[in-house]
Amino acid sequence: MDTSEQSVESLAPLESGDLRLGDIPLQQTVELVNIDLPEDQAEPLLERGVLPGCQICPVRSSPSGDPIISVDGSLLALRRETADCLCVRLLTALQDVS
Amino acid sequence: MSSIVGDPCLSCSQHRAQSLVRLGLSPDRWDYLVALAGNPNTGKSTVFNELTGLRQHTGNWPGKTVVRAEGAFGHEGQRVKVVDLPGTYSLQAGSMDEEVARDFVLFGRPDVTVVVVDATRLERNLNLVLQILEITDRVVVFLNLMDEARRHGIALDVPKLERELGIPVVPGVAREGIGVDDLLVAVNEVATGVRKTAPFQLDRYVDEIEDAIGDLVPVVEEVYPEVPNARWVALRLLNADEAVQEAVLSGELGQLSRDDSGEVHEPPIVSAREKLLSASVRLRWKLPSDFHDIVTQHTYDEAGKVAGRVQMHGIKKVGFTFDRKLDSLLTSPVFGFPLMLLILAVVFWLTIEGANVPSAMLATLLIDTVHPWLKGLSSLIGIWGWLDGLLLDGVYLATAWVVSVMLPPMAIFFPVFTLLEDFGYLPRVAFNLDSLFRAAGAHGKQALTMCMGFGCNAAGVVATRVIDSPRERLIAIITNNFSLCNGRWPTQILIATIFIGALAPANFGGLVSAASVVGIALLGIVMMFVASWLLSRTVLRGEATSFSLELPPYRPPRVLQTLYTSIIDRTLIVLWRAVIFAVPAGAVIWLMSNLTLSGESMAYHLVEWLNPIGLLLGLNGVILLAYVVAIPANEIVIPTVLMLTVLTGGLVGGAGPGVMFEADSLGATEALLRGGGWTLLTAVNLMLFSLLHNPCSTTIYTIYKETRSAKWTALATVLPLVMGVTVCFLVAQVWRIVAA
Repeated sequence: MDTSEQSVESLAPLESGDLRLGDIPLQQTVELVNIDLPEDQAEPLLERGVLPGCQICPVRSSPSGDPIISVDGSLLALRRETADCLCVRLLTALQDVS
Repeated sequence: MSSIVGDPCLSCSQHRAQSLVRLGLSPDRWDYLVALAGNPNTGKSTVFNELTGLRQHTGNWPGKTVVRAEGAFGHEGQRVKVVDLPGTYSLQAGSMDEEVARDFVLFGRPDVTVVVVDATRLERNLNLVLQILEITDRVVVFLNLMDEARRHGIALDVPKLERELGIPVVPGVAREGIGVDDLLVAVNEVATGVRKTAPFQLDRYVDEIEDAIGDLVPVVEEVYPEVPNARWVALRLLNADEAVQEAVLSGELGQLSRDDSGEVHEPPIVSAREKLLSASVRLRWKLPSDFHDIVTQHTYDEAGKVAGRVQMHGIKKVGFTFDRKLDSLLTSPVFGFPLMLLILAVVFWLTIEGANVPSAMLATLLIDTVHPWLKGLSSLIGIWGWLDGLLLDGVYLATAWVVSVMLPPMAIFFPVFTLLEDFGYLPRVAFNLDSLFRAAGAHGKQALTMCMGFGCNAAGVVATRVIDSPRERLIAIITNNFSLCNGRWPTQILIATIFIGALAPANFGGLVSAASVVGIALLGIVMMFVASWLLSRTVLRGEATSFSLELPPYRPPRVLQTLYTSIIDRTLIVLWRAVIFAVPAGAVIWLMSNLTLSGESMAYHLVEWLNPIGLLLGLNGVILLAYVVAIPANEIVIPTVLMLTVLTGGLVGGAGPGVMFEADSLGATEALLRGGGWTLLTAVNLMLFSLLHNPCSTTIYTIYKETRSAKWTALATVLPLVMGVTVCFLVAQVWRIVAA
């Protein structure tokens, strides 16, 4: 992926205070607000039940930080870059996951 | 496959035993046609097998059925043809699977489309149902996996869902045959028109969109008066759907509604078709800019609403804990990798150890018993000497060799591998390895096809169909040969035992030689990453697609069915192809050893000519020639090398020119090879070259069939060869400098 393009993409929403799935600690359920990906890449996610408004919970993460998320009753493995493109909203205040 | 009527072993009810007649393979004529659609991993293939009595393999990972399977059954005196479509999440025609599925629902004109729905994931499955309902109203929903839903604490109001969708909804558990009866009845009723459906209609869009649709629908109806769903066609045209645009232009769209009277509608004249297309392009300007998103989102929203209305919550949740615990172990950052290596090592150990005895038995039977018997028979009836040699010593022996070396390991490896697949472990392997594949610019699912390649590269190449992105699929195809396949393990083990194991103290010989073979296999994996990386930086440059892989729940594998299907589907098909290719190889080997030119055999001249090149690479002419004639099957490399060494070296032993053989003992093999001038360098480089050379012809042919491209097939053939020659050359030069 072109690095300059990537940095623009991930910077812009951060300024507006958006939270990304990649920033969410494990076991914290959040609600998906928006998928910040080109349509052809968002489509497979939508089809697998990752829809705006749905509840997502990162349940595990690989050594390189790729999450496994629980969504709509099934487990989905994502790449970290993809997780960083999912804008989410907290349902409750951040739990203390220490 | 013959029909299975009322098989008592199957858990079928009395009623079904009487009404369902499984007809097996696809018939020539049928009374009505049923398409099976559904999301991946919902048990669609299980439903197909239940209906037809066929044993289509059902793997527990998404995207298993890639080509469509066909079968048939009889019900209420009607012959019914069933087509199992690839599992898809939608009908957007974004991937090859989706295109196949959609084209069939659209142009295959099934009388009934059965959508198999996973009851535990209703919302996302309904999305597909709604999309299919936009195309056709003759739909029956089979609500599968009701038992899993119950375990997950999900209860569904089936009558309500039926009312919401306006089509029959049949709950069931396909694995146990539950609900299949009711499904048959519902399908029959819809097909015969006894039961009229009143399908769910999507809500209207915003006015701008509805206006554009309203303008276009009359044009569609005018150009294609016989199309039943003008609104859907209009919507797809406004959405710039390529497949539908093409169908409009080619006139194929008109075939959609051809009735059963056999009357064929003439396609509308070309100018009318173009008029329709240009009208849709003109109207597109009036649409809101996020029109596509609106349409896509619309279906998802509706699916969500319907799902929400029929799901009953508040039921105690059970299950999951076992899955989660197992997952936390198998995909753990600490244990995931070692466990994976351990499991793969056990699979290989089972394959190699388990294959020894049956391989030896087959060799005794086919080579030591049947071959002399055939020779005796041919001399009895007095067949010409050269024909006897060509057929029995050449063709027969090569084939017998391939069968006895190839069949046992494959018959062990594939079922064991398939059990892991059924259990649901393979997607976890892909997850564990994804970060490495990403770094190489490849797809995580390449891990699966790579593992499959350890069994057989041709099977590995076919397995790459699970990779959606064409670029990443090509990388997986081209690099599959770096997985050391079953056909090459015996060569590696033999040479390692003789030359490398012998370097270590007697007690450690076995361990050292095993370690060196594993080292070669690991080197293959490294080379696979290197080659993938190179390809993704050069000829197959492109963006890494976002990777999302569903990790299905662990399901207990069905051992007997797995044994059956994996032997039929994989082992026998691969073996058959190898045999076909071994036949000409056997003939060539015999001919070149027996045809002479100025007093010496062709083989002698070829070896003499290849020798300088071979020595430069730390190999020899015999090995190079053996690899050229053994392109059809790596299994015959060692017997060919032995035969050629005796033939061209003027050594004593062997079974005669052109007659492949294996020496009686390791010692005898070693003596032969050392007599042929072999050194430790020859052995090491042979092991390297056995890993890094062109794929066997079965694999090359499979690559061509899968890619339909001479260019990519050539690259896949030449790339490993170039790498092998380079590596062998460098090793030989360094070795000689160090040794000197």
